[in-house]
Amino acid sequence: MSDREKLNKEFSRRALVLGGGGMTLFGIIGARLHNLQVVHGQDYRTLSENNQFNFQIIVPDRGRIIDRNGFALATNRMDYRLMIVPERIENIDLTLRHLSTFLDIGERQSQRIQRDIKRNRGFVPVLIEDHLTWEQFAALNLNLPDLPGVIPQSGQTRQYPPDGEFSHILGYVGKPGPKALEEDDNPLLRQPTFQIGKTGVEAVVDKRLRGERGRLKVEVNALGRIVREFPNESDAARPGEDVYLTIDSKLQTQTAKAFGEESGGAVVMDVQTGELRVLLSMPTFDANLFVSGLTQADMDRMNADEKRPQFNKVIGGGYPPASTFKMVVAMAGLENGLINPNESVFCKGKVQLGPRTFHCWKRRGHGRMDMRNAVKHSCDSYFYTMAERIGIDRIKQMGLRMGLGQTFDIGIEGQSPGLLPDDEWKRNHLNDAWRTGDSFNASIGQGFVLATPLQLAVMAARLANGKYAVTPHLIVGGGVPDFDLLKVNPEHLGHMQSAMYAVCEEPGGTAYRPNSMGFEGVKMAGKTGTGQVKGISAAERAVRVRRNEELPWKFRDHSIFVGYAPFDNPRFAASCIVEHGGSGARKAADMVRGMLRSALASDGYETRANLTEDM
Amino acid sequence: MITRRSEYGGLRGKLFEIDWLLPTLIFMTGLLGVAMIYASTKGVWDAGAQQHLTRLIMGLSLMILIAVIDFRFWFGMAYPAYLASLLLLIGVEVFGVSVNGSQRWLDIYVTRIQPSEIMKLAVVLALARFYHDLPDWRISKPTGVLGALIIIALPALLVLRQPDLGTTLLIIAPGLMIIFLAGVRWRIIGSGLIAAAIAVPLFYKFGLKDYQRERIWTFLDPSRDPSGASYHITQSKIALGSGGVNGKGFMKGTQANLDYVPENRTDFIFTVIGEQFGLLGGIGMMALYMGIAAICMIIAARMKNVFSKLMIAGITATFMLYVYINLAMVTGLAPVVGVPLPLISYGGTVMLVVLAGFGLILSAHVHRNSDLPRGAGLLL
Repeated sequence: MSDREKLNKEFSRRALVLGGGGMTLFGIIGARLHNLQVVHGQDYRTLSENNQFNFQIIVPDRGRIIDRNGFALATNRMDYRLMIVPERIENIDLTLRHLSTFLDIGERQSQRIQRDIKRNRGFVPVLIEDHLTWEQFAALNLNLPDLPGVIPQSGQTRQYPPDGEFSHILGYVGKPGPKALEEDDNPLLRQPTFQIGKTGVEAVVDKRLRGERGRLKVEVNALGRIVREFPNESDAARPGEDVYLTIDSKLQTQTAKAFGEESGGAVVMDVQTGELRVLLSMPTFDANLFVSGLTQADMDRMNADEKRPQFNKVIGGGYPPASTFKMVVAMAGLENGLINPNESVFCKGKVQLGPRTFHCWKRRGHGRMDMRNAVKHSCDSYFYTMAERIGIDRIKQMGLRMGLGQTFDIGIEGQSPGLLPDDEWKRNHLNDAWRTGDSFNASIGQGFVLATPLQLAVMAARLANGKYAVTPHLIVGGGVPDFDLLKVNPEHLGHMQSAMYAVCEEPGGTAYRPNSMGFEGVKMAGKTGTGQVKGISAAERAVRVRRNEELPWKFRDHSIFVGYAPFDNPRFAASCIVEHGGSGARKAADMVRGMLRSALASDGYETRANLTEDM
Repeated sequence: MITRRSEYGGLRGKLFEIDWLLPTLIFMTGLLGVAMIYASTKGVWDAGAQQHLTRLIMGLSLMILIAVIDFRFWFGMAYPAYLASLLLLIGVEVFGVSVNGSQRWLDIYVTRIQPSEIMKLAVVLALARFYHDLPDWRISKPTGVLGALIIIALPALLVLRQPDLGTTLLIIAPGLMIIFLAGVRWRIIGSGLIAAAIAVPLFYKFGLKDYQRERIWTFLDPSRDPSGASYHITQSKIALGSGGVNGKGFMKGTQANLDYVPENRTDFIFTVIGEQFGLLGGIGMMALYMGIAAICMIIAARMKNVFSKLMIAGITATFMLYVYINLAMVTGLAPVVGVPLPLISYGGTVMLVVLAGFGLILSAHVHRNSDLPRGAGLLL
């Protein structure tokens, strides 16, 4: 055998060694495949199905908020938005930069996005932007193939009437904050587009409005895009309940229009049931801005407005009730047997208390005034005199019975209890004893006394009702509550109502207007008030009391009115405060008259009046 | 020497001499690739499958062309091809185009070429030529061993600098096998293995880039980076494992259809096979590769000269190493090094190089009776 042959043999032998090695390698790979595909095949099949299928939470439609006549105030509309699934995206910054060619992503927004990405697990979709226009949405959909992990979605968002006259009642929705997330482990709250009620009715009945989540089995590809859906009837989301309000949206809107540019609050309340038909604070704001995310500019504008649009004045604003408080003083006197309605006081324009002089609004004086005339003409001197006799404690007691100095269970937050001061309060807060002068001021609703428009409406409603201590409510449900008895002497009440009638319906009354209601046979009763904002100094008084129109808006008097109608069969009570409305109580009186007229009209009064005319 | 007309007489005779079983198996494997690319692109014919088929047919034509060209020409080309490839690699080093952080491409205006791919064949040719010309008594002498090692080391170092770990491996390993098959003494091979056991840790420390080290670590401990590099291998295992014994059926692989396995048209195409055709499909595919290798090695054993034997064995070894490394990588037995599955993965260069290699094997077989002179090499 030659060397060459030997070598050839050696080659074959060594080739066999290598070939054997190669077979062994295939054997190892085959064993590995057996291990993966047969031994653990079932596990991997499960993992593959986990990849393939996913359950998506379906956000239920939020229940609507509807007024007493069936008009939906808070509704849902289609909204187009854009989300990303962070774990499906390799370079988030790059994707965001790419997206910003389609939409405007600001600095604050991208910070929010980064924070959301950090806070959630990688598979939770993060909202980039909502409220996209259809054009933006369509453009994004076209560019999807270049944008893995980006998911455009259409869904529902909240919508409110644009003029905002219901904003203070309805409140608004928004993304749940950290506190809400901590307290509530409902997975719905973790959905990027889910909104919860933040304020107002939206917050109070949030759980009822929310509904129950549904789920949807979907096939998802590696980019997070849904390839196929497997809808199942029993997994559908259950929409939230609709919630009804006692509000009459037409009347509320009309009232807001009548307010115009003025600031203040107005209430119309059912005298029998306590249903609030109008609960308006002016000026107001567009709650839609809060849903879509308030810009700093919006916020600055609202904060800079001296009329404070965000402040719910009608339930949260404490104002000096001024002369509308005189009913409380008079009732306190009557009920305690300290006032004889026929007894007269001579008004000479001022009352002297030691060194201090208390002026009646009419500098020349009213002359002889009995109770009815004192209310009709709103004579201050009469009430100074009576206040000294009755004392602040009895006045406070009557105030409480009339609904002042307290809050009511109307659901929404932000009520102020107002203030019914007494000796104890003054000692606690001002470190000083109660003096007769304080009672003088209180008797004409000035000084320390504060009341909200809502409280004044309750007072008017109780005076009109006479039998029950009516309380207001806003959200329908639970039927008419059992009111406590008011427990006032009907004879005394008659005197009071008659005096309030004189204010509106008799010549010389501070709010007299012939045929004020406009309906045949329908009369109204009420009381004016002019809330003094700025103390009138002796020096100013010596020269001449400046006319209100000459003062800057902030120092002008509040225009106040409370009333009810019809006089002989009361249906509605109303109150109105026009902040710095000037010119006495006329502005507020006109407002209340208008509201009562419209409320009665919508209750069918016009028809009845027409019938009377026809006969 | 008596020659029969049917053996060397013209093109028809040469075509008759081709061992047609080998092209058939290669074509079948290539068609499996077309079908799998079609499935991985969710049934879009011109998203890869069509191109793959075109390349396959063009590559097979090239293979036949190489097969009928006189083998002595290829024999003579061994060193020139090696030197040219070496120059091209240096050219890459100097003028190369960077793609994905690796400088592998040379832009020659018409097209981009990857000299490292050509080098895989050239190194085999050069080594075969080296041992062919070497007097037998010198095989286990320093000239025989070190000469061969230098032929391997020069391109290997250049490719490693690009950096391309996969190709470096595919140059070194077949080279070492040729040294082994050339008949170097076992003693020397044994000491070489011991030397390697010492050198490998040093190489790990100094020869690898960070990302290459990271890949090895991710391979050893997949929990290190669940969404990054090992996402690849995890999804790959899910695809294979969920295929079970029989697979989910053609075009019914959910992992593939939903894009869970990245690169499943190229390096990870075996996941498509495993998911759709299961264990049986995987074994069937391995049988095809084994068949191809077996035919090549039978041809090699029948060769009468050293150059042919070593060249065929080297090319076969290169081809099979592609397969082993790729399968080990996809099944999670080896780190992800970026080696395609030859003939099946989408990609033009590899297909071309592999089919050119088979062309050389066929040419050696067709011209098995022609004499190749010894000792006329460039170096000796």
